[in-house]
Amino acid sequence: MSGQPRARREFRFAWRTKRQVTNDVDAELAFHLARRIEELTESGLSLEDARRAAAERFGNLEYTRRYCRDEDVRRERETRHTTMIEELKHDLVYAVRALRSAPGFALVALLTLALGIGANTAIFSVVRGVLLSPLPFPEADRVIRIWHVNKAENDPKSQVSEPDFLEWKVASKRFASLAAYWYAPGGSGADLTGTGTPERIQGAYFTPGFFETLRPRAALGRTIRSEEAVVGNDHFVVLSDGLWRRRFGGDHTIIGRALTIDGIPYTVVGVMPPEFTFPADRIDFWMPLSNMGPDAIGRQRASRFLDVFGRLAPGATVAQAHDELAEISRQTAEREQEARGWTDVAMLPVREALTGEVRRPLLLLLGAVAFVLLITCVNIASLLLARATARQRELAVRSALGAGRGRILRQLVTESLVLALLGGAMGLALAYAGVKALGAIGAGELPRAAAIRIDATVLLYTLGVSTLAGLLFGLLPAIRATSRNLQGVLRAGSRGSVGNAGQHLRSALVVAEVALAVILVVGAGLATKSFARLLDVNPGFTARNVLAVRLGMHYEKYGDARIRDYYQLLLDRIAAVPGVEAVGAAKDFPLRGVGELRPPTVPASAGSTEGDRKIRLPVLHVSADYFRAMGIPLRAGRGFTAADREDAPPVWIVNEAFAKKYFPNESPVGKVLRMGPAAIQIIGVVGDFRQKSLSEPAEPTAYIHYPQNMRAGLSLAIRTTGDPLRYANAVREAIWSVDRDQTITSVEPLSAIVGGAVARPRLLASLLLLFGIMGLTLGALGIYGVLAYAVSQRRQEIGVRVALGASPRSVLRLVVGQGMGLAVAGVVAGIAGAFVLTRLMSAVLFEVQATDPATFALVVVVLLGAALIASWLPARRALRIDPVQALRYD
Amino acid sequence: MAQESLGLLQGTVDVLILRTLSWTAMHGYGIARWISDRSEGALSVEDAALYQALHRLERKGLVESEWGMSEKNHRAKYYTITPAGRRQLKAEVAELRQYMGALFRVLDTA
Repeated sequence: MSGQPRARREFRFAWRTKRQVTNDVDAELAFHLARRIEELTESGLSLEDARRAAAERFGNLEYTRRYCRDEDVRRERETRHTTMIEELKHDLVYAVRALRSAPGFALVALLTLALGIGANTAIFSVVRGVLLSPLPFPEADRVIRIWHVNKAENDPKSQVSEPDFLEWKVASKRFASLAAYWYAPGGSGADLTGTGTPERIQGAYFTPGFFETLRPRAALGRTIRSEEAVVGNDHFVVLSDGLWRRRFGGDHTIIGRALTIDGIPYTVVGVMPPEFTFPADRIDFWMPLSNMGPDAIGRQRASRFLDVFGRLAPGATVAQAHDELAEISRQTAEREQEARGWTDVAMLPVREALTGEVRRPLLLLLGAVAFVLLITCVNIASLLLARATARQRELAVRSALGAGRGRILRQLVTESLVLALLGGAMGLALAYAGVKALGAIGAGELPRAAAIRIDATVLLYTLGVSTLAGLLFGLLPAIRATSRNLQGVLRAGSRGSVGNAGQHLRSALVVAEVALAVILVVGAGLATKSFARLLDVNPGFTARNVLAVRLGMHYEKYGDARIRDYYQLLLDRIAAVPGVEAVGAAKDFPLRGVGELRPPTVPASAGSTEGDRKIRLPVLHVSADYFRAMGIPLRAGRGFTAADREDAPPVWIVNEAFAKKYFPNESPVGKVLRMGPAAIQIIGVVGDFRQKSLSEPAEPTAYIHYPQNMRAGLSLAIRTTGDPLRYANAVREAIWSVDRDQTITSVEPLSAIVGGAVARPRLLASLLLLFGIMGLTLGALGIYGVLAYAVSQRRQEIGVRVALGASPRSVLRLVVGQGMGLAVAGVVAGIAGAFVLTRLMSAVLFEVQATDPATFALVVVVLLGAALIASWLPARRALRIDPVQALRYD
Repeated sequence: MAQESLGLLQGTVDVLILRTLSWTAMHGYGIARWISDRSEGALSVEDAALYQALHRLERKGLVESEWGMSEKNHRAKYYTITPAGRRQLKAEVAELRQYMGALFRVLDTA
């Protein structure tokens, strides 16, 4: 019986597997039985008898085998757990102590991590809310938005006329159901009266099957059924959560009550939950389209006002559905004169249709913050490498005391993870503030902004990102720190041997850091330049000092006869307000709508072989003084006058783009267009101005004098002598002096509308710029850190050089040269990377190439400048080295 | 079956094993022999119960095991008692002594 040296137990490397445990138990029991049989045969039994006796003596062998095995497996598991917990506890305590012993390092690392992780969390919560969170109706990926396409007229995404929609709805088999709605921001509104102050509310007017197709749940009451959306049985309305709370204080007794909308009572059947805001965030109500008669919205094929969507039939694919509707459209286009050219359809899943525009900018931002965090990680890895050199002795001591390489590795990685998780927690606090700010800025600019918040998924993401970051910056230095012969360190001199390899690795990291910063800053530079270009665009009108007022016209109240008088009286009263220089009205403000599409026939132009051309172009209704109020110049012919009445011959004014396209060699003034039975004369040409968006040049457009078409909402442009908002109250009073019940949809400076049009590019540019500055600062910090360390390590060498008479210049050149070498290498790599990556930005850039040489050049200068400063500071310290002291110092 | 008879014996088997190991490290067969020899054959622990007890005690941390070489140069598993095992042995012996004392006080006066 030999006493076993207990120390051997400490050196068991791996834990036993279940198979090993079973083998051990079997071996133990086999040994026992063998001894017993041996004993019995020695006492005279035959081998056969001895075996039987031994087995009998043992008892239930099979049960014992299993019992012992199970006990051992349990013990293995329990000790493994306790050991791990013990070691983890130890590592955590040790990690916190190590961080506290290096407060400078911990502070820099934590702050940069908090910024990096915070930015990532904030942007991810936006991406999650807008792009990833589920839509508020079931199986949303089966719901498809559909547009009509006219390749001949270069119209890739048009709304659909009611006749076309009804044909699709009847014939389609690939869609389980199809529905449509009319919604126009600021256009599809109605007056809510009867309770409190009159208010213009925004709604969607839908065809039967709207709710059956989407299948959302009402928060209160129910949705409107198909049979409640037909003429004669359609005075029903569903309210949005926003309107219900704002206007009715969340009153549950609202269901079944009648609301007066545009002067007619509608029964409230339901209230939708806050997340259901289809088709737009700022929606107040949903109402059957049948309430909007054909005299309000035309139902002929030329009247394309419906947004169509459908739920795919079980098993049907988007491709099949597309082919089906395209085929129906082709047949209609052959049959019907008015449908000519409308031979195709475009489809997008409803989620992409809702968020398509912001998808790329958001993913771009997510990419940018990932870069920021990556730079942070490289920076911390570099700091850790420097620290590891200083900690070599400490690690060597631990190694000498019996800690294996894996154990020390685990210890170091635990330290990094503690750092990362602490940084992550701080980042979360930053992100919380950031998300609030982004939510406030994003409301109205981002679709589904209400869904942006920090929730469990975002928290999980933050945890994941923090852990990943910890591993990223912790593993490399930890592996390096444990790869050398630690015992040898103890025997080396009192100072930890520097290890040139460590410095090389740090240099490589700095190069990577600078390269990443270059890519980030180039992206920021491009977005900023694009934004500046957008601001520089001359919109063609003068927004300064113009007050923009939007009204809904009470057509039903005044009727055909009196509405013109009402309209004129409104304009006159506002014009009489002191300080108002001019008042104009149009159907839509620029950047807020494009008027209505009309299909006139344009006569042949001089010098052209083409004959009459049937075209489609947007037509905007304006009042006589609109161009003057907007500061849009008249280029030829005359403007509208009071004489251009509804009973006078129809006349149009066109813009320069129209003149250039259809009458390139002559003045269009005096030309006569035909539309149906009407002959329309062109009386004037005005300067181009951007109606659709700031980033697109004006398209050929015509203008009708208001009294010649009275069926539209009203946008008033009021030119004043100073800050337009100062006149807001006087203007309101002037409007109400005509009709107390006139609702006013909005009052804002025209410049705010222009500002709103660039809000998204502004947000993208400022966030990218912010991230770019973070990247730049971190990169400079990285260069500084490596050089400062190098200088401190090379004190003796520099001291010798100075003692031997080296000039301050040459010492400066030595240090700065090293720093700039790293920076140049990083810039070269970064420019190459940026050249490839910024192509992804092309789609969001306005009048700037993704490879814009000026931006690239500027970034190179800025980064090298930052690198120069980051190198200069340690170089100055090198200059102050006293050679005598440096040489004495060991 | 072995199990039924164990219920009663279990505690006693544990004490006997701990006591045996308090002398020296031993393999299972050795323990069985030792108990049988010491009690001059009066106490014979069933082998199945012995091994079950050994592995149970090991899980509880009262004994530890290690592979070693037997006297005849066979690979055998040796058990040693741990400090916790010694404490347990002391406590159980005291309890048993008390219990038996009380039991016999009653039996003797009867």
